[in-house]
Amino acid sequence: MATHETDVLVIGGGITSAMLAQKLSELRPNAHITVVEAGRSIFDVQNRGRYRQRALDYGEHPWRDDYIEDQQADGIISMTMAVGGLALHWGGACNRFSEEDLRLKSLYGLAADWPIEWTELERYYCEAERRLNVAGEPSPHVEDRRSQPYPQQPIPLSYNLQVLKRWAEQSGIRFVGLPMARNLTPHDGRGACCVYDTCGEVCPTGARYSPDFTFRQLAQPKKIALHDRTLVRRLVLDGRRDLVVAAQGFHQDRPDDPIDYRAKTFVIASGYCWSSHLLLLSANDRFPNGLANRSGLVGRYMNGHRFINATAAIDEQTFPGQNMTHSLISREFFRCRPDGPFVRHDTRVWESSSGRDPRLRSAEGKLLLGDEVMVDWRARAKGSAVRLRAYVDVHPSADSRLTLNAAKKNRYGDPMPRIEHRFDAPTIAREAATSEHVLGVFNRLARASNGRIVNTSQGDYLDHPGGGCRMGSDPAASVCDSYGRTHDHENLFVVGAPTTPTGGCTNGTLTFVALTLRSAEQIASGVGARG
Amino acid sequence: MKRRTLLRWVAAGTAAVPLRPLRLLAQPRELTPEAVSLLHEIAPTVLPSALGRDRTRAVVDRFVVWTRNYEEGVALAHGYGHPRLQKSGPTPARRYIEQLAALDREARGRGARWSALDREQQRAILDAAFAEAGVRNLPPRPAGQHVVADLMALYFRSSDANDDCYRAQIGRETCRAIPVTLRKPDPLER
Repeated sequence: MATHETDVLVIGGGITSAMLAQKLSELRPNAHITVVEAGRSIFDVQNRGRYRQRALDYGEHPWRDDYIEDQQADGIISMTMAVGGLALHWGGACNRFSEEDLRLKSLYGLAADWPIEWTELERYYCEAERRLNVAGEPSPHVEDRRSQPYPQQPIPLSYNLQVLKRWAEQSGIRFVGLPMARNLTPHDGRGACCVYDTCGEVCPTGARYSPDFTFRQLAQPKKIALHDRTLVRRLVLDGRRDLVVAAQGFHQDRPDDPIDYRAKTFVIASGYCWSSHLLLLSANDRFPNGLANRSGLVGRYMNGHRFINATAAIDEQTFPGQNMTHSLISREFFRCRPDGPFVRHDTRVWESSSGRDPRLRSAEGKLLLGDEVMVDWRARAKGSAVRLRAYVDVHPSADSRLTLNAAKKNRYGDPMPRIEHRFDAPTIAREAATSEHVLGVFNRLARASNGRIVNTSQGDYLDHPGGGCRMGSDPAASVCDSYGRTHDHENLFVVGAPTTPTGGCTNGTLTFVALTLRSAEQIASGVGARG
Repeated sequence: MKRRTLLRWVAAGTAAVPLRPLRLLAQPRELTPEAVSLLHEIAPTVLPSALGRDRTRAVVDRFVVWTRNYEEGVALAHGYGHPRLQKSGPTPARRYIEQLAALDREARGRGARWSALDREQQRAILDAAFAEAGVRNLPPRPAGQHVVADLMALYFRSSDANDDCYRAQIGRETCRAIPVTLRKPDPLER
């Protein structure tokens, strides 16, 4: 068995891991920091233009071999397992939660409060925005006040979004451009945005932040050790004390030769799915339900937000394809009165060509050929389609769970995770009223410019999922404290998405990063400089 | 081991290579000259006349390259929300060649080359061919179901076609400086 000794072992190689490793390497430049990631490194930015083109031409996945076929979960939202994680192909949306997210219990008697003050978290939002180089426009709502400006000017609104903003604001609801981790000018080894419009798949210039850049910047000058293609299968406790002493893993090329990672501090930064999974897999005689699980809450309260979509048709003309991955956002419904019905959601507006794309048959079913296709398309392209979406605040029950699925195992015989989301009773009770409210907002938006809602739908999964290791001050009701330090093991931390008690009502990544940057200081404080 | 024995083993091994890989090797990986010629003949029927001769030929040429550069067994986009692993199937080149030959047979069965048929005859032939291939809508990109539907998809789903439809220089899939997107797109000059 090979042994690797380090001061801090970070398990997982996604965006929170990248931010944690970066900050730890700054705070403790002499400490040995090792990041272990099950998937491979894809550090070939020079090929991204070609990958993008093949994705457009052939529908190919632009991140080759970014998954491990036998390391997949039921109920997971992405197959990606690689250095960079899901943020290899995120859209770059960097919305903050609001103070209400942290005070749901005290303000509304719902779900749980987060064990952290908003003013403190806000400082880390600023830091996260700086590290991700967010381009953003401040919210017009005073409750959304910021202590520092965005590091970049807002992404200028395309002509289409200017049209749609004028249209949408006739409802009296205020919109701004979506804050995004997208370089307007070259920054930090990454290029400027060239509106390739494939942010959610691959950005050829690297303008949209992705963690592979950070890992390369840290690993090449050996600020950290990056061990990719190495799956950590379990954590091992000291014989007598409740301290983690080792993480046992296997490199993909050496499945018969385990690696023992010995560290003073262990940090699980494996996202909402694999963090709980590792703790559950690490069960032993003293912790038969899994490590950090005296509360029985590891893998519970899995969260995220529901989403409701609509397409509006309006008379004003836009030109689909100008900047389809940028959007407008309203935070008008981030907060509601404590004495009124509880409904919280963001509201997003995109340019769209939905229902106006070229088609092969007329409405009567006649096969269209050549000029007929173009004539039909042009007739339907008059006016505009507008894509609308609301992320809705819903709260998990304790039965919203990640469990080990004995029927599905990886090559080592480890059961894979199964995630099944469940809502708490108040969420279920208000479901119809929430949908009615959101559709009312969409209809209110649509009224201008002879607008009408032409279709609506509801997402059938929860987006920006989190939970499974929720934070709290009561060890009986939570897995870790506000810094992610597990209540049961002094030297074991969980960071990012798994620690969130609730999933908010807007994109979660910035919040996951902000929480992690706060954790980083606590983790660093326990790491002495190496002599 | 004697050299002769080794050679015998190699010979026996070669003979034992399964037929399937050999058949795969024999699969056409690109369109034949006859198929390309037929595609050029059919293209003006299914692409807008405003493209003119040169742009129409260029679309067919791009389709030929698309077919040649197709890769088998490559992971397709996994999707988000409900991801699943799918890989690209066998090259559609053989199917395309057969479908083009079938269209030619149908046309000649009506007593003329494709280009000599009237529009309704061409429509009837394509309608039947699409039905047989299970093509109901314009594919989001060439998908290997039917060669003509895929040729149409290659053009009509393109950034160029989007510009043609709106008669504007949008450049949906081109690298653009952000300031270009801030104003109403310039009218198309072609």
